[in-house]
Amino acid sequence: MKRHILMVVGMAYFGLPILAAAPNFSGSWVKDNSKSDPVPNPLMLRETPQARGGGGGGRGGQGGRGGGPMPMVVSQESNSLQVTEPQGGMRKYMLDGKPHSTAMETGVQKAAVTASWQGDMLVVSSTEPYGGMPGNVTAHIKEVWSLSPDGNTLTIATTRTIPAVEKTYKEVYTKK
Amino acid sequence: MAKNISRRNVFTGALTGLAASAVPQTASAQAAKMVQRVGLPDVWGQDFLYQWSPPENVKRDLTPGNALLRLSHPQMVSAEGTDYDKLFKSMRAGGWTACEAGSAQWLANKVSDSQASEIKTALKANDVIFYGIHCAGNIIAPDPDADRWQRHIIDAVNSGEQMGCELILTHTGSMYPNRNTPHPLNWSKEAWTRSVNALKRICKDTAGGKVKIAIEPVNSEAINNPWAQKRLREDVGDPRISSGLDITNMVDTSNVFRMTELLNTTFELLGDQIAYIHAKDIVWNGMQAGLNWVLQATGCMDYEVFLTHISRLKKDHVNILVEFLNAEEEYQQAQRNIRSIAGKVGVKIHGTQPAA
Repeated sequence: MKRHILMVVGMAYFGLPILAAAPNFSGSWVKDNSKSDPVPNPLMLRETPQARGGGGGGRGGQGGRGGGPMPMVVSQESNSLQVTEPQGGMRKYMLDGKPHSTAMETGVQKAAVTASWQGDMLVVSSTEPYGGMPGNVTAHIKEVWSLSPDGNTLTIATTRTIPAVEKTYKEVYTKK
Repeated sequence: MAKNISRRNVFTGALTGLAASAVPQTASAQAAKMVQRVGLPDVWGQDFLYQWSPPENVKRDLTPGNALLRLSHPQMVSAEGTDYDKLFKSMRAGGWTACEAGSAQWLANKVSDSQASEIKTALKANDVIFYGIHCAGNIIAPDPDADRWQRHIIDAVNSGEQMGCELILTHTGSMYPNRNTPHPLNWSKEAWTRSVNALKRICKDTAGGKVKIAIEPVNSEAINNPWAQKRLREDVGDPRISSGLDITNMVDTSNVFRMTELLNTTFELLGDQIAYIHAKDIVWNGMQAGLNWVLQATGCMDYEVFLTHISRLKKDHVNILVEFLNAEEEYQQAQRNIRSIAGKVGVKIHGTQPAA
């Protein structure tokens, strides 16, 4: 009991101020290709260029974030964050630090997605079979979302890891 | 052959036939049943047009067996002055514990008995297995090429005997001179008969030997499915006719998303006819029917089921060729993926891969 009381007191003193400081990513965001890294096609480590059409996202409904004039729309609430891609795809993260099972694009496999706050950054971690087919290697994807001090620039740094290789890239968005 | 066999119907017939009966049958009997069962297996109901998507509950037996897997990719060479001890040490250092030779290079330099003895000693000292000679020939090519290629295969078998190899690998080929070009009559009775007769000749001219003659299935050729592999052994009538199994070479758009079933069917049907394995991966990621190679364990291949099936073969060890990549870095990545999945499902792979 004593320990529980201390935890509650600790949250009151340390946890709540952090929650209160959590940034709000809501808004329409347009990708700044000049400041962003090329997004590797997550499915293809070796393929002919002609076959690279299509979205090719490995995560459930996540797809490529794309670019161009169409914005990515983010709606953030107290316990969730919803992302609507320029192409119309939608995904939702529960901001509770717990793994949530999400169907992947193939519908055959599922990903475990966890979203949690680390200071003023949102960290979205996903564990999934690579490419969404049964029997693949397991891929770990970590997205780190952060806002510039003025709130007008969103940066998402992504690290994709499979046993063979790790790839990191960042995408920069400007508030519309 | 009683009737011509199309690739799709053969595969789907295989699935249906296996599901329908656990009673052992000859390939001929199975083929007869298969022809009666033209059409895709009943995955989504017989009244549904397409059967290209996998069933909702595919059988995935991930029970590991006892066979030890040995990974291979480096080429064995017969060049004069080769330091074999150094060569095999470098293979082991890269995590590779088996190797094969390309027939063109290997047969270009005749290996003396003393050199063969030296190579065998170095192989043993480094715990590397030289299991096969890979022959990219075309034994049913238009005459007189067919005869030339058949003699090439016979030479490879004899060299394999000298070196103590388990097998030579070849293909049945194409009715065109270039075996990589599909001929419209590759699936005709004539092509089948030429394939059987070519292999009968090779078996006859190498009679008494131990070297297996492993036939690799290739989509563009008549042997492009497990049923044809089994039937070929029966028609040739020699137990040395084996399967140099490359699952991805049997994949088309109708089964690319049904790899688990293709694996189950193939391993259940061929069993110990499988002499060795090729490890690749494949995706279908475009509007056209073209499939593309991808890094092992990142495509449509069910590598967990694949590796456990291999480990359950009734062999002490199984040699697996990792292929169709470019740089050594890619081969190391492929090996890393394969070892990771093997570790996950409890399949043993010989040797140790260097750290990334």
